[in-house]
Amino acid sequence: MPDVLLDRILTQAWALSPSVALRPEPFGALAYHFGNRKLTFLKRPELVQVVRVLAEHPDVRSALVAAGVPESQHAAYGAALRGLARTDMIRPREQELAS
Amino acid sequence: MTPTELKTQDDSESAEDMVAEDLIEEVSIDGMCGVY
Repeated sequence: MPDVLLDRILTQAWALSPSVALRPEPFGALAYHFGNRKLTFLKRPELVQVVRVLAEHPDVRSALVAAGVPESQHAAYGAALRGLARTDMIRPREQELAS
Repeated sequence: MTPTELKTQDDSESAEDMVAEDLIEEVSIDGMCGVY
């Protein structure tokens, strides 16, 4: 991922979509979207924690730090979050507030 | 039901090797009625 795209998502405010339920699993969690019926495995507990606390932080980077994700892994987590955004599992905060 | 590519946490895995596919996996629920 080009750094500009990574920097963009890391500095934006995001939140879990209100249509998504997280089911805890030994490997992390299952995320199910009741609107589009998409199902995604979140394969690390740290990613589950990031998704859970996204709405409590002003941007993604601070959520990653709060969840204990090392800075060296922020690019991978940013790419994963972009993947979750593509299926509406997470939404930009202003969009979440407007819906 | 478990992720098909699930790897155990490995201390030897370097951060530089981590990619999005290590963190998420999208699956289709078509035909899974009654399975989960």
